[in-house]
Amino acid sequence: MALSKREIERYQRQLMVDGWDQERLQRARVLVVGVGGLGGVSATYLAEAGVGYLRICDSDKVELSNLNRQILYTDADIGRPKAILAAKRLSAQNPEIEIDAVLDTLTETNAGELASGCDLIIDGLDSHSDRLKLNKASFDLNIPYVYGAVNEWLGQLSFFNPPKTACLACLMPGELRNLGSTPVFGALAAAVGSLQATLALRYLMTGEIPAANALLIFRADTIVFEKVTFERRPGCGVCGEAAPSGPRR
Amino acid sequence: MTVFLRAGGQLRAMIKPDVDHYTRKVEIEGEKTIGEILEHISLNPAFVALVHVDGVMKDLSYKPADGQTITLQPPVSGG
Repeated sequence: MALSKREIERYQRQLMVDGWDQERLQRARVLVVGVGGLGGVSATYLAEAGVGYLRICDSDKVELSNLNRQILYTDADIGRPKAILAAKRLSAQNPEIEIDAVLDTLTETNAGELASGCDLIIDGLDSHSDRLKLNKASFDLNIPYVYGAVNEWLGQLSFFNPPKTACLACLMPGELRNLGSTPVFGALAAAVGSLQATLALRYLMTGEIPAANALLIFRADTIVFEKVTFERRPGCGVCGEAAPSGPRR
Repeated sequence: MTVFLRAGGQLRAMIKPDVDHYTRKVEIEGEKTIGEILEHISLNPAFVALVHVDGVMKDLSYKPADGQTITLQPPVSGG
């Protein structure tokens, strides 16, 4: 798929980046689940970069308490569905790409259907139990999954694609015990969402898995990045020997 | 034996830091697992999502060496 004159001009500055493959990005299909503090930012950068197809899923409506961090929405949007608004805003930013808005709530049943036909899943969620549903769909369909999460001054992200890597359930198999409401601020959510988009773009253009078997932790209070390695867990209930479907080798 | 516990996020205050803003020094007798060290300081391990030492993920059965710093990661689930 050759680039049009307009696309060449739009993407001119990134076409200069070593290893950039715009045509491969144009063919890419990505599911973004949750378009809030994380997903709103990662979806924005994927759209601007020219990822050919985005499926954005969010069942929530905009609330006033979202507006400290969710850059796709304004005060006038309160009460309106995020997925529809996000699709409209992203289309306005880059009309060259295709965007589908899905207003469904993520469930164990529909996670696979949502991800079907996509090359990559981006996590913009705000609950660990929902992330585990996405992780399971990622494993079942063999679609890589870019994980991200924030809490107070901590951000973390990783890239999962078993059996080449561990999966989220290898690392954190059960529900997390939250210590009350999750404190979140916009700049950190945006930093993590932007890094998720960066991992995604790198993978989509090269097929290389960035940061395999590593959790990247950003300590925003001291501006320190840590890379913590981990292994695939043989007893993992999703991708290990104990999984109902057995391990993928 | 001395080990150091380090925590950020909402877990930071729960470890009662005394070395710096994030770190607590803990004196223990003999080798202990991380789980036993958490019990020693009366910290419920259910509040700890991940544990890592020197850039490698560990579980609560890991026995740290004298002087090691154990990082406790709280649940991080927002977005």
